[in-house]
Amino acid sequence: MPIKIHRKRNKKLSKKERIQKEVSTFNIPDEMLSDSLKENVEQMKKVTGNSSDLKIRELKGNDFVNLTAVYIDGLVNNQFINEFIIETIFNNIEPYPDLEENKEDLFERIYAEVVASGEVQKFSNWKSVLQELMGGSTVLLVDGISTALVVDTRGGETRSVEEPGSQVSIRGPRDGFTESIQTNISLIRRRIQNPNLWVETMKIGKVTQTSVAMMYLNGIANEEIVNEVRKRLKSIDIDSILESGYIEQLIEDQTMTTFPTLFHTERPDSTAGNILEGRIAIIVDGTPFVLIAPAIFIQFFQAVEDYYARFDIATSIRFLRVLTFTISLVAPALYIAVTTFHQEMVPTRLIIAISAQRDAVPFPAFVEALLMEITFEILREAGIRLPRAVGSTVSIVGALVIGQAAVQAGIVSPAMVIIVSITAIASFSTPSYAIAISARLIRFLFMLSAATFGVYGIALVFIFMLVHLCSLRSFGVPYMAPIAPLSPSNLGDTIVRFPIWAFTQRPRLIGNKNNKREGPHQKPGPPQSRSLKTTADDQGDTS
Amino acid sequence: MEKAKIDAVQLFVLIVLFELGSAMLIPLAIDADENAWLAILLGMAFGFFLFLIYHALYKYYPDMLPTQYMQKILGKYIGWALGFAYSIYFMYASARVLRDFGEMLLSVAYRETPLFIVNLLLMFLIMYTVYQGIEVLARTGEILFSLLYLFAITGFILIVASGLIDITHLKPVLEEGILPVLKVVVTETIYVPFGEMIVFTMIFPYLNNPKVARKIGISAIALSGINLTIVMAVNITVLGVDLTKRSQFPLLTTIQSIQIANFLERLDVFFVLALIMTIFIKITLYFYAGVIGMGNLFKVEKVNQLVYPLGLVVLLISVSIASSISEHIKEGLKVVPILLHLPFQIIIPLILLGIAFLKSKKKSKGSSASDA
Amino acid sequence: MIRKLQKLLVPVLSVLLLSGCWSKKELNDLALVSAIGLDKNEKGKYVGSFQIVNPGNVVGGENTGGGSKSPPVTVYTAEGNNLVGVSRNASAHVSRILYYAHTNIVVIGEEIAREEGIMKLLDALDRDPNFRITTTIVIAHDATAEQLINTLTPIDKIPANKILKMLRSTEKSSGEHLEIKTSDVLEALVTKGKEPVVTGIRATGGKIGMEMENIQRTEPSSAIEANGIAIFKAGKLIDWAHGRSARGIVWVLNRIKEADVSVDWNNEKDSIVFEVIRQNTKVTPIIKNGDPEINIHVEVEGDIGEMQTAADLNNPETIKKIEEKINKQIKNEVEKGIAKAQENKSDIFGFGDSFHNNYPNEWKKYENEWNDTYFPELKVNVTVQSFIRRTGLRTKPFLSNTK
Repeated sequence: MPIKIHRKRNKKLSKKERIQKEVSTFNIPDEMLSDSLKENVEQMKKVTGNSSDLKIRELKGNDFVNLTAVYIDGLVNNQFINEFIIETIFNNIEPYPDLEENKEDLFERIYAEVVASGEVQKFSNWKSVLQELMGGSTVLLVDGISTALVVDTRGGETRSVEEPGSQVSIRGPRDGFTESIQTNISLIRRRIQNPNLWVETMKIGKVTQTSVAMMYLNGIANEEIVNEVRKRLKSIDIDSILESGYIEQLIEDQTMTTFPTLFHTERPDSTAGNILEGRIAIIVDGTPFVLIAPAIFIQFFQAVEDYYARFDIATSIRFLRVLTFTISLVAPALYIAVTTFHQEMVPTRLIIAISAQRDAVPFPAFVEALLMEITFEILREAGIRLPRAVGSTVSIVGALVIGQAAVQAGIVSPAMVIIVSITAIASFSTPSYAIAISARLIRFLFMLSAATFGVYGIALVFIFMLVHLCSLRSFGVPYMAPIAPLSPSNLGDTIVRFPIWAFTQRPRLIGNKNNKREGPHQKPGPPQSRSLKTTADDQGDTS
Repeated sequence: MEKAKIDAVQLFVLIVLFELGSAMLIPLAIDADENAWLAILLGMAFGFFLFLIYHALYKYYPDMLPTQYMQKILGKYIGWALGFAYSIYFMYASARVLRDFGEMLLSVAYRETPLFIVNLLLMFLIMYTVYQGIEVLARTGEILFSLLYLFAITGFILIVASGLIDITHLKPVLEEGILPVLKVVVTETIYVPFGEMIVFTMIFPYLNNPKVARKIGISAIALSGINLTIVMAVNITVLGVDLTKRSQFPLLTTIQSIQIANFLERLDVFFVLALIMTIFIKITLYFYAGVIGMGNLFKVEKVNQLVYPLGLVVLLISVSIASSISEHIKEGLKVVPILLHLPFQIIIPLILLGIAFLKSKKKSKGSSASDA
Repeated sequence: MIRKLQKLLVPVLSVLLLSGCWSKKELNDLALVSAIGLDKNEKGKYVGSFQIVNPGNVVGGENTGGGSKSPPVTVYTAEGNNLVGVSRNASAHVSRILYYAHTNIVVIGEEIAREEGIMKLLDALDRDPNFRITTTIVIAHDATAEQLINTLTPIDKIPANKILKMLRSTEKSSGEHLEIKTSDVLEALVTKGKEPVVTGIRATGGKIGMEMENIQRTEPSSAIEANGIAIFKAGKLIDWAHGRSARGIVWVLNRIKEADVSVDWNNEKDSIVFEVIRQNTKVTPIIKNGDPEINIHVEVEGDIGEMQTAADLNNPETIKKIEEKINKQIKNEVEKGIAKAQENKSDIFGFGDSFHNNYPNEWKKYENEWNDTYFPELKVNVTVQSFIRRTGLRTKPFLSNTK
């Protein structure tokens, strides 16, 4: 027996090693450049498989120097290469005496005087050179020199800054993140013009080499959490990162949950606000969705507009959102429970009305609800996937099929149509899609329990959900904070939103040192001196 | 003992929910007729006294579970056996409350459902919670607390608004003198719910700030005592003594009496929700105390491994302790208080405290003598 | 962790899915009982009539065509030795489960109330978890409960609702009837020194009320009306109070919401009508010279509703005079009500209970002979104070200018 176990373990180990090897074959040869230009160019062609977008421009305007510029078409700013690399080299390099001996000098001169770019680096190993090349830099190779000049020429086609599609607001800035990490970082920087806004960039993804940036306010963000985020990001070992969702699934605290433990947003103002509260933004190249950690439950009910509107309005809208979230969770379940277990709860006339509608319906209430809910989910999914032009057709067919024909045929009752529609609309009014979608899933659990145990079932699942929510943590921060554990000074931004002048403290995300957000006496009021009033007013208002 | 800490607010919330659990729902102290509210208040006064005993013990051994300090006080073997008895007592108590719960649910709404199934489902939820540990339980408690008070205040407003309260039902005050009331206090209210605070001796060591324990405990007992008094007084003013006495669950009947604008009536769901919320906390705390007690006595490293086997035991006890609701309630009112509550809640803690006091005195004397 | 969760989930799901749903009752399988009638037949068995709603005929949807073709309710009758037995026997006639949570009215036949009393009937209602203790109880006056349950009513399609609404509206407007709930009756039955009262209901027109025709006419030939207050003693009906004495009882019970009090003026009978808007009755037990006495103080506020004679309402003196007449009138009614109760030796007002609350020691002496000895002899002092707050939109009646 022990031998067998040993063998098994061995086998496992070797498999692991094999995978490691497979991954490492993607790695670029870690060799030095040669000093022959021709060899270098050949090597480059070989490594890239002589791809057609690899542009090799030999600069032989001068009889003496053999210079070659290499870049990837489409990733670079062509105009910049033409004007500031090729043209300047043509114009500035004159015949150089004793070229063979002074090659080094010439190289230094090109580095120091000729190339007119903000970022020029020298690399002599292939790994870095190729990495930069693939990132959009231009590589300048000089014959006889085993070092390459790498000029930052990133550019090419990117989407311009547009209004975000997923988080629309009536009031507030109209810009949204794009797919470019530089643009995204700059959008945040423009909002927080402070040297303490620190950015750490790293490459994640063995194959894709995706840039991932951590952004936080030094001195406000909790260092422990910053270290934890960094540690988790660094420990990611995967071939590819195509969207921030990859990162989210690799760094969250708890995977067995339907609730999102990281917040994501497309809006720079929301990101800036979260950074100012001491959170950390994780920006991934290639996606407009920025992750924010740590996230708490109530955060998913906060829309940016809440902070732009006055507090009374914002508070009532928060109440509405909690209500709609509850409706989207339990409305069908409650209907099932009430009509199959607790008919006594409904006022007599209402129960007679519902009973009259249900008389012809052939299914039990649960099956009826399930049918309707599933039909609705299909419609919703189809509505997202279909081309825009056909989308309206789907909604018309859906409305006719469900709203009219099914009711007239007596397959479902009108009351059920009403319940399902309310549920659907309620789930759309939750500001965060991530939490709305988890509510969609849990709703079915609620329905099942309501169909088997009525209100008792609903209450059990509800408490189960509460216990589960309370057991979640996001980067060590309890998910239900500041309600549980209670932190009275932070309750102002939960189900209610206090006036901005009452937000004296930042959320306490475990031992946050710098909590003070605003000075005392921020409550505005009318001017104390009467001199601000016009004399006309004085005459009218003699109080 | 697991590595966890709870704060003062969480302890407060847990005590209040625990005290309200099931006590809020049954005809508590109704043997004192119109003076039930007085019996509860007097019980509360005794409750303070009991709590101070438990607290004094805790102060002698602030970071030890009772199962540990019993071994310190009484010696290894007797202490161990006593700790074991306490753990069993806690588990038995949780099984009793679970049975209470099942019986209530069955007679309220689910007549055709087997008791075992109803209990099983709640027990699964409790096992899941205990598995997650005391911190999660405490946080859940905080949310349930606010929900419960939201319900309670709404319910109270509805009762007042539908004009059900008739103060004359509370008269005459002390018709037979104070003696019958005292009798109820001594035989009933002192144990349920106030003596049940003994379970918190297992929770105190988790408190992150031991200094506040006394203040928190007293204020939580006061709040829950006053709440129970209000609940019982409302029941009697709405239903009258006789109907309250005849009701298995007076609060349910009170809630059923609400009728506003011909629309808000039969709000039984309020009751079912309040029932599940408070009872859930009560059973979970008892069960948790039993589990960590056992884990501590048998030196189990990962205490939550014990949750599933012990949970099944509690479940089976809960269905098998009695054959009918009458038998169950009779046991609960006549047998258990004398045979179990009195020794476990009052006599043993007093003895323990006495010995601990003597020991510490001896020790300080000894140390001062050696100093000199 | 995943494995742990599986351990938890597998049993939970299997319980949920395999066990089925015990207490489940689909709406289509329930017969909503809107009213119950209880009688006793010649064989001495209980007869229950169950008025069951036909939901489709009540809710006039597009497909049902207004529900006029078939009646909105169906009545099933069954007999048995006890109420649970009656209910089980009735279900043999009905395709659905009888469901009592929406029963709004319990009608008790006069015969059964007189002969056997209502005590035995109420236990089953009180015990059943579905039945509401807020359900209204009425007594069928001069009729069997079955007759009343069978009568169809226009406007409010469900007869039970009609009865309920009628009780509420007459309690509000005339003050001669009361809406009495099961819990009120129970409380009065078990409280020493208190007896229940229940409103009586009568059906006019006999058998015709059972036909659909009855509700298709503008003037229904059969109608249900509130009629008198039944006075109980030891759970048995002993007498009826009508008109003024009935209202007197309601005054003392402090249940008058709105009422009209007419007084004579200028020697014209009932020529001024006073409409009560607010009233409060205070019952104070006192012990004078070792004998129990009751002080009743009624405070009434209201407007002038009608003047069939000339009077100067601008003059506060006149108002004061009218108020005095109103006081007298109300006092008269209250005394009539009390006399009725004393005559029947039944303390329907709960005077005994208020002695119990305020003089617990003396009460022990009266307790056993209260209804028969002390109550009929009880001295009751009635004082009334009325306030005419407003006189409507006009001051002087136009009658004073017509000459």
